Amino acid sequence: MFLTIENYLFTAAMAVYLGGTALFFLFAVTKKERHARIAGVLITVGFVFHTLALVVRGIGAGRLPMANQYEFATSFAWGICLCFLVFYYRYRFYALGVFAAPILFLVIGYAAMQSREVRELMPALRSSWLGIHVSAAIIAYGAFGVSCAVSMVFLCRARLLKNKAWESYIPEEEALDRISYRAVSLGFLFLTFVMITGAIWAERAWGSYWSWDPKETWSLITWFIYAAYLHLRMNRGWRGKRAAVFAVVGFACVLFTYVGVNTLLPGLHSYA
Amino acid sequence: MRFAMVLLVILASACLAGSLIPQGETAAVYSGSYPKPAAGLILALGLDDVFHAWWFAVLAILLCLSLILCNLIRLPALIRRTKDGFSYRACASSAAEPILELGEKPSALFRSLGFFRVEAPEENVVYAARNRLGIWGAWLCHLGMLVLILGFGLGQLTQFDASVYGIPGQTKPIPGTDYAVTIEDFEILLRPDETVDQYTTTLTVSDGGVRTAGGITQVNHPCKLFGMKFYQNSTGWGADFTVEKDGSVLQQEFLCAGELAHVKPVEGLTVFLRAFYPDYAEDDSGMPMTKSSALSNPAYLYMLYYGEELLGMNVLTAGQVITVDDYTISFHDPQPYTLIQVKRDPFEGTAALGGGIILAALLLAFYCPPMEVWAVRDPDRGVWQVFIRSRKAEDRLHRDLLRAAERSEYNVSDH
Repeated sequence: MFLTIENYLFTAAMAVYLGGTALFFLFAVTKKERHARIAGVLITVGFVFHTLALVVRGIGAGRLPMANQYEFATSFAWGICLCFLVFYYRYRFYALGVFAAPILFLVIGYAAMQSREVRELMPALRSSWLGIHVSAAIIAYGAFGVSCAVSMVFLCRARLLKNKAWESYIPEEEALDRISYRAVSLGFLFLTFVMITGAIWAERAWGSYWSWDPKETWSLITWFIYAAYLHLRMNRGWRGKRAAVFAVVGFACVLFTYVGVNTLLPGLHSYA
Repeated sequence: MRFAMVLLVILASACLAGSLIPQGETAAVYSGSYPKPAAGLILALGLDDVFHAWWFAVLAILLCLSLILCNLIRLPALIRRTKDGFSYRACASSAAEPILELGEKPSALFRSLGFFRVEAPEENVVYAARNRLGIWGAWLCHLGMLVLILGFGLGQLTQFDASVYGIPGQTKPIPGTDYAVTIEDFEILLRPDETVDQYTTTLTVSDGGVRTAGGITQVNHPCKLFGMKFYQNSTGWGADFTVEKDGSVLQQEFLCAGELAHVKPVEGLTVFLRAFYPDYAEDDSGMPMTKSSALSNPAYLYMLYYGEELLGMNVLTAGQVITVDDYTISFHDPQPYTLIQVKRDPFEGTAALGGGIILAALLLAFYCPPMEVWAVRDPDRGVWQVFIRSRKAEDRLHRDLLRAAERSEYNVSDH
């Protein structure tokens, strides 16, 4: 019964997200603020459905819904949505939705393609570290997703502003750069936490806190990329366009760490 | 800085290669999977074992040196700034402009923004600073990285790592030590749907019979005995392997799937237990398989060698035997064995400390930006001019201060 309810809630969340994404696109075409406002509300409503879907699945499975491809993908989408809503309502600029909503829909679409079967946890996953490690990953990936969306707004800003109607909906370059940096800072802090908690857990489960497993290695590569972003920004003044490109590349790495590594590079994290 | 960036790029590229190219395979695998020049390049550059290659270690050492140098260069300035940087005198000499004017002394306003220690360094001056430690964030992050890498590297060099497997009742030496492990019990806890809930091994460790200690190890719950950690690593099937002649047992030992046994009475004869099927069946193409993990129809896939010559390969089901001349070889009493990983890493705590320092340092660097506020009374106009200084959070401080002033009952004029 729980699975059926979760299925309805997940489908409702996806449908509402799709509606929100479509309205953000409509806003991009018409520049009518009303469309963006409704889109924001729809994404918020979708987030509520999505949260309920995760809660119901958690109750039905008797554990945190973070243990297989579907569960992590839907949690990942939830993390992106959470971070998007935090930044969207904090900074109130509609153009963010135009770029973030498709990312959100892409990830939840990927989740929808995975098997939704509820399986019992294998012994290695039966640990309180699962919740800590994966929750942090969800926030980290979500924050990087938002930084990517903000950076895409930055990179397209000049082109968009050829149409004067965009002026009230896109912040100044400096503000965009600052928002993207804040999202990267949050993501970087959580990514570091993910790697450290992952190492502690791996030591307990596999007897080695670092095994150069593809997932670990790609997390490290992503960490290097964002570390370089932060260093170049702080010490070399790499802001604006170059920093935006870095943030987009960083998120591409995040996506590969999740989707690419799981599907192309099997390792100890193959179940994730 | 530039050197560190180059190092990060090279390290990231090395990691990329290490994750995309299969690691630790034989030369034949690379020759078979890649074009000849690519395979040659992989082997010549050590890309077949990136993370244990000498040049990868050199890169890690260079990164450590870069971190040490970076921190040494920055240390004097940071100490100076910590000692003297946060003061009204330093602020007064800056070219800061007032951001607002207040009719009253703003000590309470500063406190409401978290500047709890408001000083009066001079008459008609109030000064407060917050998050002074924030300036150490990046420095501490580098220190944490250094400690982490050193902990990991030294751990790799000095750690002890061995594996012991067995069935209940067996005592096995821990390779490379004077200790021995006795497997007292091994239990596989199954759920109703037959999936595994937990593996539990009860074991006793003794050092040559002088001291003995016991413990229980499970997946995610290693036990620590004699300074070594015992991890429940894996499991598999094995069976008693018996060689008989004329009804008398000449040889009997426990053989795990994947293991070889020399048939001692016949020199040169070897049996390899290639696989074990607890619930034997054949798939559509006639290949052996197991229907479930339940021990309901055991079967053994064996290979028989004389020297290096393969004499035969077949599946033995219950009651079937191999006959070689007058000898009868059989497998019976299959049971799961437990594989225990034994490890001692004296630098594990160092690496953990490094990780902790990095996290604390990132919190400091991102969320505790140093901020200073001060106010000077203009005796002629009777107003307090408020100034702020913060490299990383000036906008936020400015905004928060204005909002707080507006909320309060101060007589405010915004600059």
